[in-house]
Amino acid sequence: MQMNRPRRNIHREKVAVGDWQTTVKRLWQYLAASRKNLVIVFFLTLITTAVTIVGTRINGIVIDRYITHHQLQTLLLVCAIMAGVYVIASVAVYFQNSLMITVAQNTSATIRQDVFENLQHQPMRYFDTHDNGDVMSRLTNDVDNINSALMQTFVQLFTGIISIIGMGAAMIWLSPVLFAITLLATVATYLFSRGVARLTQRAFMTQQTALGSLNTQIEESVSGKQVVQLFNHLDATQQNFDVTNRQYTHAAFIAQALSSIIGPFNNMTNNVAYVLITAVGAASILGHVGSITVGVIFTFLIYLRNFTGPINNLLDLINTLQLSLVSAQRVFELIDAPREVDLPDAVAVTHTEGAVAFDHVSFAYEDTRMILHDIDLQATPGAVVALVGPTGAGKTTIMNLLTNLYPLAQGRVLLDDRDVTTIKRANLRHLITVVQQESYLFSLSIRENIRLGRPDAPDVEVEQAAIAANAHTFITQLPDGYDTMLSENASALSIGQRQLLSIARAFVTQAPILVLDEATAAIDSNTEALIHVAMSKLMQGKTSFVIAHRLSTIQAADLILVIDQGRVVERGTHQELLAKNGFYAKLYNAQFDN
Amino acid sequence: MFAIIMHHTHGRARWAFFLAPLIMLGEVSCDLQQPTLMSQIIDIGLAHGDGQYVLHHALLMLMFAILGLACGATCGTLGSYASLKMGESLRSEMLQIALSTRDAAGLKPATLITRITNDVTQMQNLVMMVTRGMVRAPMLLLGGIVMSTIVCPNLAPILFVIMPILVIFILIVMRRSLPLYTNMQAAVDRVNRGMRENLQGAKTIKSYVLEDHQFALFKQANLNLQTTSVQAAMATVTLAPVIQLLLNLGVVIALSYGGSLAIHGSISDGQIIAFVNYMIQITTAMIQTANIITAFSRAITSAARVQAVLDEKPSDAMATALRPKASEIQFDHVTFGFDQSTPILNDVSFTVADGHSLGIVGPTGAGKTTLINLLTRSFDDYDGTIRIGGVDIQQLPLEAVHDKVKVALQDAILFAGTIASNLSFGGAASPQALQTAAEMAAATEFIDPLPQQFEAPVEQRGKNFSGGQRQRLNLARAFTNDPDIVVLDDATSAVDQNTNAQIKARLAQARQHQTTVIISQRVTNVIDCDEIIVLEAGKITARGDSDTVYQTSPFYRQLVDTQLGGGRHANE
Repeated sequence: MQMNRPRRNIHREKVAVGDWQTTVKRLWQYLAASRKNLVIVFFLTLITTAVTIVGTRINGIVIDRYITHHQLQTLLLVCAIMAGVYVIASVAVYFQNSLMITVAQNTSATIRQDVFENLQHQPMRYFDTHDNGDVMSRLTNDVDNINSALMQTFVQLFTGIISIIGMGAAMIWLSPVLFAITLLATVATYLFSRGVARLTQRAFMTQQTALGSLNTQIEESVSGKQVVQLFNHLDATQQNFDVTNRQYTHAAFIAQALSSIIGPFNNMTNNVAYVLITAVGAASILGHVGSITVGVIFTFLIYLRNFTGPINNLLDLINTLQLSLVSAQRVFELIDAPREVDLPDAVAVTHTEGAVAFDHVSFAYEDTRMILHDIDLQATPGAVVALVGPTGAGKTTIMNLLTNLYPLAQGRVLLDDRDVTTIKRANLRHLITVVQQESYLFSLSIRENIRLGRPDAPDVEVEQAAIAANAHTFITQLPDGYDTMLSENASALSIGQRQLLSIARAFVTQAPILVLDEATAAIDSNTEALIHVAMSKLMQGKTSFVIAHRLSTIQAADLILVIDQGRVVERGTHQELLAKNGFYAKLYNAQFDN
Repeated sequence: MFAIIMHHTHGRARWAFFLAPLIMLGEVSCDLQQPTLMSQIIDIGLAHGDGQYVLHHALLMLMFAILGLACGATCGTLGSYASLKMGESLRSEMLQIALSTRDAAGLKPATLITRITNDVTQMQNLVMMVTRGMVRAPMLLLGGIVMSTIVCPNLAPILFVIMPILVIFILIVMRRSLPLYTNMQAAVDRVNRGMRENLQGAKTIKSYVLEDHQFALFKQANLNLQTTSVQAAMATVTLAPVIQLLLNLGVVIALSYGGSLAIHGSISDGQIIAFVNYMIQITTAMIQTANIITAFSRAITSAARVQAVLDEKPSDAMATALRPKASEIQFDHVTFGFDQSTPILNDVSFTVADGHSLGIVGPTGAGKTTLINLLTRSFDDYDGTIRIGGVDIQQLPLEAVHDKVKVALQDAILFAGTIASNLSFGGAASPQALQTAAEMAAATEFIDPLPQQFEAPVEQRGKNFSGGQRQRLNLARAFTNDPDIVVLDDATSAVDQNTNAQIKARLAQARQHQTTVIISQRVTNVIDCDEIIVLEAGKITARGDSDTVYQTSPFYRQLVDTQLGGGRHANE
């Protein structure tokens, strides 16, 4: 039987472009935590903007009144006041930016934390069907995009809104005609930017998706580097990567080229408005129409810079915002992925007799093709149950169901006559220690890795466990002994040594039910013999499930289930099964015949 | 950093990189015309009531505005092109280096991945900014200074005092922020590692209910990233307000001093207006420059991290075009260890004649896998000599060694693709060759029922196959195209007895023309080998055929007795 599952598809689903309001709302919820800081930033922005408006107006007045009318003393006095105001404004800018940095970083940290936390509670299926590289890309690149958008956006948004209102009012006050011209230019800029933004949205989504698959490839080939080298597959891997790399570059180029028009276009409309105002102003002075003076034109032009400046910034921000909204959507997908939740009436069980039963259990991954058919088994408290059978028969899958890692298609798994799905997962898993064939070791010290299952276990127990698992000798030979920090998945240790550490881990954990899934496959049988005694002791009084290919390790089992193609084909004790002269006997004899 | 950028912008990208700033010059000079033209309109056109003059200059201003747009858009596109092409080339080379360096003690995957992705993005952003802003801002700045000096030489000294102060200030801020960005990128590495472990170790985490434990660790790393990011950003946060303050004070001085000069009639109103306008332009440009400098600080850190990857060159200097014909393996007094006092391999010597087989047994951690790593040249810094076909492997190109020796590692790493793409990993293979290899590895029994057979999809790391199935594909990959030397490093540990027996029988047939090295925990896999060596704590403690070793090695005797039962050894 093979376990081929349908290609992953969940994360490839195209996000509906257009659902931006929800995304913005979600982002806002994150920002709400920093509401107080944002209010302060708003008021600081109010100060700085007011200073800009008033300062500019004073510049004009200075020229029109004092310089033209030769009032030197008043001029100097006004200038001194202005200097003071500018100092206040700069202090305000400093605090405004500092606060925004804090807000942005707090928000990103919270988002990262939420992503991580939600991923922690994803069902096993999620990890089977998602590429690590893409998930990583969302956590780093996409959160980064949100962060830089937040840093830039808020101050400019506030400044923008306040300036636009303030400057607008001042401009109307100064000259309604000139303001009308300005407004025209602004509307043109806005319409253009919006048009481009629609296009860039889509392009950015393509870009970030391409970045995700790029990361997936980097992740895969870097982690599988040794095999790539051993098989001289460097060139092919490189060529594959280069294709994806080029696809990303292409997608990013389209997105960026589109968005790079926005800035210069705004700059142009800005300049056009500048020209029009100069021209109209000049015309009205020459024609003696209205009340426009040279000072008015001067002030108005500076207002114009301060009016269109923030508007341009805002429109420029559309880029950053587009990208960050796309990113936010990708990140929220991770945060929203439905968790593995306990049933509402799930009970906390902290003790078990150890009676385990599978009651007509069938199982399939999402597709309809059954992986396990009608599995039936009863393990009395303290019994040792062995599962044997060819590779891919479904042995590990059966054990995965015991710890409720996947939902069943049919039947029930019972612990002390209680359906395991009605037990809180954390409780259930605390009652069962699983030693996998490839248990993961984390980048912690060896000591911490061994006591992962019971972090409060004293050092003495850790060492006793290591001695029992025959790992003590090699651990003490390491430069830092038990305090040796393991690198990612302990790549410096041999697979056998890693297995010894996982066995030591099981010794410390001391749960009432034990699952050994090929736990000693990479350990030589002499070492295995050495730890065998300790293992028997470990299994004493515990209900144990043993998956092993070495039949010597399962002969003593109280019950042996022979699994083939997802079915139990034979069951009984070693002697009974030999006597049957069936599948098991064939397996057993194969060990010696050749 | 500039060297990296230069080295990775080729052809059109190189043109774009240099052309973009030039075109930006166009946009900037267009922008710079505006205040001058305007001051002329006021001073000349309005003063003389010359409508024609005003119109003419207004049209000129309009023309420059449109020309500016054309230049700006072109520059932006070229800048994107240059920066993205640089990123593409950089990622490609970094991956190549990451894949071809042998030293397992080098950079760890998590940091390598961050460097290839995140750090390259930082550099890409910088190039983007350099092509657009690094010219625009300094040009507006320089242009502003020059024009204001020309328009109003009397007020220019104000700038000549302010600008040096600003430059020194910026330099100080930059120097302070650099180490902080280095801390920040290191924190990014840690967060990534936490995430990676969480993804890879998902099942272990669930089984041991480590969610809270891992979350607490991640929170620490995350907090660390938050703190270092804030520190780095805070280091540069003074830039904008200080620049703004100094230049605003400059405006005030220009007005008061310029005003008094105007009152005495030595300069005109128009001159003051233009000067103040230029000052505002200079302020904007300075702040933009400051932003670029912030990005620069971050990019310098990233560039250093990228450079560290680029520096990891594979040391294949001794390589010649030699290709050994024969397939004899010889270890000649090989000693190897990471530290001198405890060698992993201690004076190991053996010869496997062409077409012969060697079985290696020994306790966990005895150095068996290290031996294979030396044979495939994962490490070169051992004492003694290793030869293939009589040639010192250090004289051979890596590729020749890997062509000759096919290894099935204990850890069955598969790649996303199809079964066929995985099996033909070592080179193109005919359907017939795939079939033969799969048969030898007893993999056909699960490949055949698959709807797409050899074209069936394999997911990342082979997640959609069971441990035993992965090992069999791993084996088949080594068998594909009938290599001269096959090394099996405990490659059937997860395969059941029956299947193992099938594989063994098929291997025995092939062995007639193949040199084979088998490391196994299973006695049955090595018992028929021409020679068996027992490796204990890095030393060969026994050698010979199975019977001899059974007599001389307590380890082997015990292995045989426990696995085959006391009376089952062929000798008894």
